[in-house]
Amino acid sequence: DSHTQYERVGADVTMKCGSMDWDAAVTWTANGTDIDESHLNGSYLILKNVDLTQSGQYSCYEGSSWHLKYQTCLRVGTPPKEPVLMCRSNNYPKGFYCSWHLPTPTYIPNSFNISVIHGTREMVCEKDAFPKNRCHVRYLQLFSTVKYKVTLTVTNALGKNSTTLTFDEVAIVKPDPPESVVAKPVPNNPRRLEVSWQNPSSWPDPESFPLKFFLRYRPLILDQWQHVELSDGTSHTITDAYAGKEYIIQVAAKDNDIGTWSDWSVAVHATPWTEEPKHLTTEAQITETTSASTSSFMPPPTTKICDKGAVVGSGAVAVCWTAGLVLAAYGVLFI
Amino acid sequence: GDSWGIFTFLCAALCNLPALPALNCTEELGAGQSIQKTYDLTRYLEHQLRTLAGTYLNYLGPPFNEPDFNPPRLARAERVPSATVDLDLWRGLTDNARLAANYRAYSRLLCYLRALDGQAGTAELRHRLGHFCSSLQGLVLSIAGVMSSLGYPLPAGPAGPPMPSGTPVAPNDFLKKMDDFWLLKELQTWLWRSAKDFNRLKKKVPPAVVTLRLEARGF
Repeated sequence: DSHTQYERVGADVTMKCGSMDWDAAVTWTANGTDIDESHLNGSYLILKNVDLTQSGQYSCYEGSSWHLKYQTCLRVGTPPKEPVLMCRSNNYPKGFYCSWHLPTPTYIPNSFNISVIHGTREMVCEKDAFPKNRCHVRYLQLFSTVKYKVTLTVTNALGKNSTTLTFDEVAIVKPDPPESVVAKPVPNNPRRLEVSWQNPSSWPDPESFPLKFFLRYRPLILDQWQHVELSDGTSHTITDAYAGKEYIIQVAAKDNDIGTWSDWSVAVHATPWTEEPKHLTTEAQITETTSASTSSFMPPPTTKICDKGAVVGSGAVAVCWTAGLVLAAYGVLFI
Repeated sequence: GDSWGIFTFLCAALCNLPALPALNCTEELGAGQSIQKTYDLTRYLEHQLRTLAGTYLNYLGPPFNEPDFNPPRLARAERVPSATVDLDLWRGLTDNARLAANYRAYSRLLCYLRALDGQAGTAELRHRLGHFCSSLQGLVLSIAGVMSSLGYPLPAGPAGPPMPSGTPVAPNDFLKKMDDFWLLKELQTWLWRSAKDFNRLKKKVPPAVVTLRLEARGF
C-alpha cells in the first residue's frame, strides 16, 4: 500500500520498510533509482536535513524476491507563514470581497478557511470560481456601527497560521478605476483636449451612490502632473495643454463621501489639434508652374523655414504663411 | 401658511439656548437649494466629528481610543437612534420618511451630546463640543426647513428638551464611557448615512417642483 508523507525542510526523516524487521535485507529506491546503502540503518532509510529536491516516490523492495514491501510519496515543504489578507468593497452598497495569498510558497497543498463575523452574527463569504483565493460577502444591512471581523486560517500537513482584519463598512470602499477613458483633440483649438470616461461597471448604483473623479495629465516630456477634481459628470475639457505636445492622461474615481480613491485608469495618449500647413503647399504649386513657363529667376520654393520640427505654436505657422505669400507674389509678378 | 408657523415655533423653541440659530425665519429657500445646503452641512459635520471624536476618545482613555476597539452592543445602548437599516428598506423610503428619520435621529443625538457638555475634561474639549452642538443644531433646523418647504409635517415630539425622564444613569464610570463611545459611533454613522440620504433627495426634488407647491399653498 502506498501513501503520502509530509516533512519539513531541514528535518531528519526515517522511513521504515513497512512491517519488515530492522535487520531484513531490503533495497530502497527514490523515483526508480536505487539508493546507496550508506543511507540505510538496517532496513530503515535515513534522510538527513531534507530539502525540496528530495521530494518524490520512495519504494522499498525485499532483498532477494524484489517484492514491493512499502511505498510512500515524500513531499518536503514548510508550514504556512502568516497569510496576507485584503478586503475591499468595489461594489458598494452590495457587499465586499476578500482576497488572500501566502507570502512564500509552502510547496505542499494548503487549505484556506475564512470566517466573517459582524457583531454576533457569522456571515457567509461565498467562494469565487475565479480567482481562486477570493470570496465575497453580501451586505444585509447598510450604515452599520458594528465592525466586520474577517479571520483567515491557512492549514497544511505541517502547521497552520492565521490573520485577522477588522474594519468599518465604509472604510473599505474603493471603486474600480473608470473605464473607457478616451481623449480627443478639439478641432481648431490647439490647446484643448476633450477627455471622457465611464463609471466602472462594477459600481452597481451610481445614481444613489454617485462617484467623483480625479483627472491627471501631463505632456510626455514633463514629469509634473496637473490635477483636476470633478464632483460630477464623466467628461472634462483640458484647456491649458501645450500645443503640439503629446499628453498622457489618467482618471481615478471615489465615492462622493466615503472610502478611498480607486487606482488610476489605463493611461490614454492624445495630442492637441495642430494646423496643417496646407496653403503653403498650394502656393508652392503655383510658383512651380509659373517658373516653368516663364523664367528661371524664381527661386525654388523651399520648405526649410517651415520644417515640421520648427512648427511650434501658431507663431511659426504665421511665418510659413508669410513666406508662402511672398513667394507667390514674386511668382505672379514674373508671369 | 403652515410652514411659516413651523419656522416661528422652531425659532422660539430653540431661542432660549445659548447659541441662537442663524436662520432667518422669513427666508424661503427652494427645496433644491435647502437639500444641497443640508447635504453640505452633513459633510461639514462629519469632518468636524473626526477631530472631535478623536479628542474625546483620548479623553476617555483606553480601550476607547484604540482603533480596533470593537465592543459588543449592550442593551442600554439601544436608546441611541441607529442609522443601520436594511438595504431594500432604505432604498424604498419615501422622501417624507427619509427626512423624518434624519430629523428624529439628529434631534435625539443632539440631546445626548448636550448632556456630555458639562462633564468633559478640558475647557478646550468643552468648547469644541459646544461648537459642534451648535452646528448640529443648525443641521436639525436645516432638515426642518427642507421638510416644511416640501409640505411635510415635522415628526411629533419636541426637538429641544433634555433627555426623557426615567433614563437610567450609567451605574459605573466604565459603562458611562461606553455610552459616550456608542453615542459618537452612532453620530458618525448617521452622518455617513445622511450624505447618502440627501444625495437621493437631491436627485428626486428639482427646484421647479417646489415652486409649484409653494404657489399652490398661496405663498
